[in-house]
Amino acid sequence: MEQPSTLEKKQDHLQHHFVDSDQQFESAKMGMWIFLVTEILFFGGLFAAYIVFRSWYPELFLLASDHLDTFWGAVNTVVLISSSLTVAMAIRSAQLNQQKGIIINLAITIALAFVFMVIKYFEYTEKFAVGIFPGGYYTYEGIAHDQANIFFSIYYMMTGLHGIHVVVGIGLMVWLLLRARKGHFSSEYYTPVEITGLYWHLVDIIWIFLFPLLYLID
Amino acid sequence: MSGHHVSSAKFLWGVAIALLFLTYVTVAVTWIHIPEPWNVVVAIAIAVVKSAIVAAFFMHLWWDTKFNLLLLITSIVFFLILIGITLLDTLYRIDPVPSF
Repeated sequence: MEQPSTLEKKQDHLQHHFVDSDQQFESAKMGMWIFLVTEILFFGGLFAAYIVFRSWYPELFLLASDHLDTFWGAVNTVVLISSSLTVAMAIRSAQLNQQKGIIINLAITIALAFVFMVIKYFEYTEKFAVGIFPGGYYTYEGIAHDQANIFFSIYYMMTGLHGIHVVVGIGLMVWLLLRARKGHFSSEYYTPVEITGLYWHLVDIIWIFLFPLLYLID
Repeated sequence: MSGHHVSSAKFLWGVAIALLFLTYVTVAVTWIHIPEPWNVVVAIAIAVVKSAIVAAFFMHLWWDTKFNLLLLITSIVFFLILIGITLLDTLYRIDPVPSF
């Protein structure tokens, strides 16, 4: 066997400790799901804090939520759902060996993630300008409630941690984009695209809960 | 193969449009002012449906091995235990308002 056959070449992503490509793919995916379990419980602690304080101060959440802009919250929801669609399309492109499709869809995803963060930046700076800071730094006088800072501490912690996840997601997408440009992904091997997609969809799901819980209290 | 389901582009667009429609619904229900506590129930119910759609179709759980679904369900069960036990404390305190 002088020249490597195409079959061997296609299998060069396969690590020696896996039986075959499928087992490797399934193992990677299961590992990612276990990581997502820890992520759900990570955010779960913050959701628990939200529930406890909302049960203690229902009137505060009603008052303070008025200071969040429902319109921009809704726009960001649309942005994240659209980015989930483009990630799913990137995976589909990889499965169908459409190199251009992977690159275009990943690029759109990165752009949408930046749009999300820019909107978040304007929302934060608007609040900082009137003294709405988390915890003890809260100086805003416009909400008639002694514990008004609690709502915004929860708001900043939940959206902040979510924002950090979006930034990490951008980093992962850029890495995928660079690898996609080198032609690393194909229908034989697209594991990194698949599991980064799982991560991105979870970030989307977290926002799907944050939007009504923080912005839509009527 | 369970792990290599290829969704059609049309299907993925359909899923996204369903999610956008439910986003519209969750905003629209706040305009009609459903009384407490049903407004929260409706908001959470819509969010759960949206998440289930994302998990089933975008995250491929519908076609995936049942083990990954089991992992997701386990995390939700433990999250509910966390909330349940915490609320058993915080809801039934004699002096419910803490100093912070």
